[in-house]
Amino acid sequence: MGQIILDQVTKSFGDVNVIPPLDLAIEDGEFTVFVGPSGCGKSTLLRLIAGLEDTTSGHIRIDGRDATELPPSKRGLAMVFQSYALYPHMTVRKNIAFPMKMAGVDKAEQKKRIDNAARALNLTDYLDRRPGQLSGGQRQRVAIGRAIVREPAAFLFDEPLSNLDAALRVGMRLEIGELHNRLKTTMIYVTHDQVEAMTMADKIVVLRAGVIEQVGSPLELYKKPRNVFVASFIGSPKMNLIEGATAAEHGATTIGVRPEHISVSPTEGMWKGRIGVAEHLGSDTFFHVHDTGLADMITIRAGGEIDLHHGDTVYLTPTPDKIHRFDQQGLRVA
Amino acid sequence: MATQHSKTAARWMISPAVIMLLAWMIIPLSLTLYFSFLRYNLLMPGTNPFVGFENYEYFFTDPGFQAALINTILLVVGVLIITVVGGIAFAILLDQPIKGQGIVRILVIAPFFVMPTVSALVWKNMFMNPVSGIFGHMAKSIGLAPFDFLSQAPLASIIGIVSWQWLPFATLILLTAMQSLDQEQLEAAEMDGASWWSRFWYIMLPHLSRAITVVILIQTIFLLSIFAEILVTTNGGPGTASTNLTYLIYAQSLLQYDVGLGSAGGVVAIILANIVAIFLMRMIGKNLDA
Ligand SMILES: Nc1ncnc2c1ncn2[C@@H]1O[C@H](COP(=O)(O)OP(=O)(O)OP(=O)(O)O)[C@@H](O)[C@H]1O
Ligand SMILES: [Mg+2]
Repeated sequence: MGQIILDQVTKSFGDVNVIPPLDLAIEDGEFTVFVGPSGCGKSTLLRLIAGLEDTTSGHIRIDGRDATELPPSKRGLAMVFQSYALYPHMTVRKNIAFPMKMAGVDKAEQKKRIDNAARALNLTDYLDRRPGQLSGGQRQRVAIGRAIVREPAAFLFDEPLSNLDAALRVGMRLEIGELHNRLKTTMIYVTHDQVEAMTMADKIVVLRAGVIEQVGSPLELYKKPRNVFVASFIGSPKMNLIEGATAAEHGATTIGVRPEHISVSPTEGMWKGRIGVAEHLGSDTFFHVHDTGLADMITIRAGGEIDLHHGDTVYLTPTPDKIHRFDQQGLRVA
Repeated sequence: MATQHSKTAARWMISPAVIMLLAWMIIPLSLTLYFSFLRYNLLMPGTNPFVGFENYEYFFTDPGFQAALINTILLVVGVLIITVVGGIAFAILLDQPIKGQGIVRILVIAPFFVMPTVSALVWKNMFMNPVSGIFGHMAKSIGLAPFDFLSQAPLASIIGIVSWQWLPFATLILLTAMQSLDQEQLEAAEMDGASWWSRFWYIMLPHLSRAITVVILIQTIFLLSIFAEILVTTNGGPGTASTNLTYLIYAQSLLQYDVGLGSAGGVVAIILANIVAIFLMRMIGKNLDA
């Protein structure tokens, strides 16, 4: 079990209000990702759930039980920190055993769980090393191992992959995804990387300045962003936002078109422009198109084989039913 | 660019410093060694004949020697225990966010800046003196007879005074170590269900072990040669109750004007200090390379 409900939770540090009243329900077994720009309160929210920070007001319920006043150890949650927070003077085995030792789990059971975790995380050969003798990815796995053996109601991850290089990050992302499929435990995952959010989440919570901008599945957020902020935050490369007369034609203050929903042609189309930087990735090509009179720059995504280059004049056509319309407040117009 | 040429030049350049340091150590050391084999008493001027190990024999069979050895060990160990335990406690307290943290920290460090003779005098006259000391007054005010610290428990009193002086040093080193402890480790332990005591035992103490080693090593070297505090307060007495090796050497060479005997004592002290140093390095110095 691992249902977590936040009810009108607020948090202030002194006079600074970091989280205004916030409601959120995380269902049992869900993989929830908090995303948002730096400083928006993701870590703070996670630490509130973990119990490492006290709520200023409001209630946190875990599995129906009011956990607002419970100390971290009594909440049955396990956390994986960005810095891993392994105990440097203990071997990997002792690190993983630590929470069980604190809980008074008997030795045979400890050994069984350590062996299981080590096998699942490919750590069997490293059990007698110290954290200092491991690579970043291995440390990360030890931190996850230490969380798994507690058999918690939910896992909390605070940017667990941000210290790893790109290739390793993709690998660990898959491992964590697989872990979730296998354990089916609730997981809350903080990141500012929207690719991580899109690929891993059942449910994404987009935060800005402590306020939830939108909650939904990755595709919901992609297809129906509730406002301009979510629209430009989710999706890579970013959605093109166009204001002014062109937007007014569509009956909106701002319209948004994703780069992949604009077709490009050297001869004819709706908007004319000139190619600036062209990024050929092989599978795809990203064009940054200037001088369209719509916005500073329009990004488009085209096939990898397309033969257009810097300085070429091109014509762009947006897919009509993929145009997002937003009103003066930046909210989506249905 | 360590060419043969520049290496030779470098050797020439550092040689004055090296020779200076060597002379600084070697001359007094060899003179002490030389004197320790002579019958050399300032009260009996004249020839100073070579007497072999006679001085050492006298020194070892001196009734005060055994007492001084035990007192030295008690003093060092006692002060080490008090300062390390107290230092850890203070370091943890001072690491908490409290109001007026800066002032409190300076107050805690202050005793370190007081000269040993001065602090010993202050303790002797203003605190421990049964007539005019504060402790005496306090005892009287609750109807007890004042306790004469320096004659009833001389060694314990000196341990107290010296600990008071060295506590700031230990606190300072341990506090800096404490501050370098990653807070996330403590939070992780908290989430893992560790009580405060377990966090102290499994996280803080191992983290402090290296700093504790440093404190023990440095303090031991200085504590083996405690002298001023004893001279000012008890003069090694009553009897030999608070005489340590340093004081015994002083008492023999200067009070009895016996340079030979004092030198022998000095050599013994050097050997003992080195034995202790080697032991310490073996036992806890390992901590330092980890
Ligand atoms: N202990 C604290 N005291 C005062 N302000 C704090 C404290 N911790 C965080 N804040 C503030 O709260 C806000 C949210 O911080 P938080 O660490 O939750 O951001 P974040 O979303 O995790 O950012 P990042 O992606 O950079 O980790 C920030 O503006 C930060 O300055
Ligand atoms: Mg953060």
